[in-house]
Amino acid sequence: MAGIAQLNLPSGEDATRARIIARNQLARRATSDPLWMKATVLILSLGFLFVFFVLPLALVFQEAFRKGWEAYLKVFEDRATTHSIWLTLKVALIAVPLNTVFGLAAAWCVAHFRFRGKQLLSVLIELPLWVSPVVAGLIYVLLFGRQGLLGPWLFEKDIKIIFALPGIVLSTVFVTFPFVARVVTPQLQALGRAEEEAALTLGANGWSTFWRVTVPKIKWSLIYGIILCNARAMGEFGAVSVVSGHIRNQTNTMPLHIEVLYNEYQFVPAFAVASLLALLALLTLVIKSATTWFADRALRNAAL
Amino acid sequence: MSIKIDHISKDFGKTNVLKDISLQVETGELVALLGPSGSGKTTLLRIIAGLEFPNEGEGAITFHGSEVTFQSAYARKAGFVFQHYALFNHMTVADNIAFGLKVMPRRSRPSSTRQKQIVQELLEKIQLPEYGRRFPTQLSGGQRQRVALARALAVNPQVLLLDEPFGALDAKVRKELRRWLREFHDSIKLTTLFVTHDQDEAFELADRVVILGDGEIQQIGKPDELRDKPVNEFVADFIEVE
Repeated sequence: MAGIAQLNLPSGEDATRARIIARNQLARRATSDPLWMKATVLILSLGFLFVFFVLPLALVFQEAFRKGWEAYLKVFEDRATTHSIWLTLKVALIAVPLNTVFGLAAAWCVAHFRFRGKQLLSVLIELPLWVSPVVAGLIYVLLFGRQGLLGPWLFEKDIKIIFALPGIVLSTVFVTFPFVARVVTPQLQALGRAEEEAALTLGANGWSTFWRVTVPKIKWSLIYGIILCNARAMGEFGAVSVVSGHIRNQTNTMPLHIEVLYNEYQFVPAFAVASLLALLALLTLVIKSATTWFADRALRNAAL
Repeated sequence: MSIKIDHISKDFGKTNVLKDISLQVETGELVALLGPSGSGKTTLLRIIAGLEFPNEGEGAITFHGSEVTFQSAYARKAGFVFQHYALFNHMTVADNIAFGLKVMPRRSRPSSTRQKQIVQELLEKIQLPEYGRRFPTQLSGGQRQRVALARALAVNPQVLLLDEPFGALDAKVRKELRRWLREFHDSIKLTTLFVTHDQDEAFELADRVVILGDGEIQQIGKPDELRDKPVNEFVADFIEVE
C-alpha cells in the first residue's frame, strides 16, 4: 500500500530520484549498441580466438599424444631433449632475474622521476618489442662474433659469447627486457609516491623503503611481469636462433630443439617438447588472471 | 624544538613557487599555513620535511639551531601527515604505527616488547585501542588520519608537519577531528605546522596563522590580528571570500 501511495504522491526526493532513473535509462538506450552488432562482434572475436588459439593448442597436445602416453614420456629420456630443457631453464634463470632488476629500475625512473630524456627512456624500454628478434640476434653477432667489433679481442682472451651460453642469455635479455617494466610502470604511476615519502619521513632509507613499502605494494603486477618475462624467455626463437649456432647438446634451447626435431620428421618428440611450452603458456595465463585480480584489488583499496 | 626558515626560495623549472620565505615557529607552537591553491604552502611544508629541497645558495632551514636545509627526509625525521593518509595498506594498523621503530638502526631500535608497548600507548592516545590488528582499508577516513598521526609520533619527531590533514574528510568528521587535534596538541606540546586552505580551520586551531599568496608570505599574525588588520588587499580579499 505504501508503495502505491508513494507512486501517486511522490515526495520531492522521490520525484528527483525517479527523474534521475528515467534519465539514466534514456542514456543507457542512447549509448548502447543494437543487439545484432553485439552478437556479430562477440561471434567474430570468439571465433577468431577459437580458430587461432584454442584449436592449435589442442592440436599440439593431440600430436604429442598420437602414439600414446608411453611414447610421450619416452621423448624425455632422449639426452638432446633433456639437455635443451636444462639449457632453456638455465637461460631463463639468468635472464629473468636480470630483467626483473633492470625492469624495476626503469619503471621506477619513468614513474617517479622528472628528468630530461624521460620520453626517450620510455621509448627505449619498448624498443625490443618492435625490433625483429632476428635483428637483435644479429646485433650481438656483429658485436661479439669472430668478425665482429669486439670479436678479435674476445678471441684473444678466449671468451666465447656467440655460439655459447652468454650469447643466448644476452639476446634473451634483450628480447624480454620490456615485460617487467611495462607491467610495473602503470601500477607504480597509479599508486603514487606518498607511501614511499611517508616511509622516508619515518626514518627509513631508500633500501628499506623499497623492500618494505614499494615491493609489497606492487607485488602482484611484479609477479605477473616476471611470469610474462619468463614465458617469453623460455619461448624465444628468433634472436637465440641467430646466436646459438644450433649445436645439439650444447646450444639448442627448447624452441630450437623443436625445430630440429620437426625438420627431422620426428613429430611426436617435436610436439611433446612443444606441449611443455604450451603448458607454460597456459600456466602463465592462469597466474596472469590471478595476479591482475589481486593487483586490481590493491588499487581499489588504495583508492578507498 | 623551534623551526627557523631563513630566506628560502624554490623554483620548479621556470616557475617561481616560493619567493624569499622567512618564518619562525617557536617551540610548542601550533602554526597554520593558510592560502589558496597554488600559493606554495604545500611546497613549503615539504621543504621543511626534507621531501623537497629549496634553491641552492639561498637561505637555510634550522631545527632548534642545527641546520637541516639539505638533509634528507629520513635523517631529518620531521613527523609528516599526508592529506590522503599514505598508510601502508599491506600492514596492520599496529605495524603501520611501529614502522618508524622497525627501521631504526639496531643500536637505537627498541626491543619488540617495547615496540608493542609504544604502539599500544599511541593507539590509546588516538582513541583506537582495539584497532591494532585491523588493516587501514577497514577504517574510516577520520580513523585513518589518526593512525597516520600516531605513526608519525611513534618516532618522537622534533616537529610535526600536517599537509591538509582534514582535506579528505567530510565536514562533520572534520570539525570533530579539528577540536581533537587542538586538545591533543595542548597535551603533547609538539611544535606543529599545518597546511590548510580552510580559513575557519586555521583560525580555530592555530596560535598563529601565516597567509601565503603567490609564493610569498603576505601576513603573519594571531587570528584576531589578521581579521582586524589585514595588511594588504590580498589578505583582506582572501579572508573576505572564505
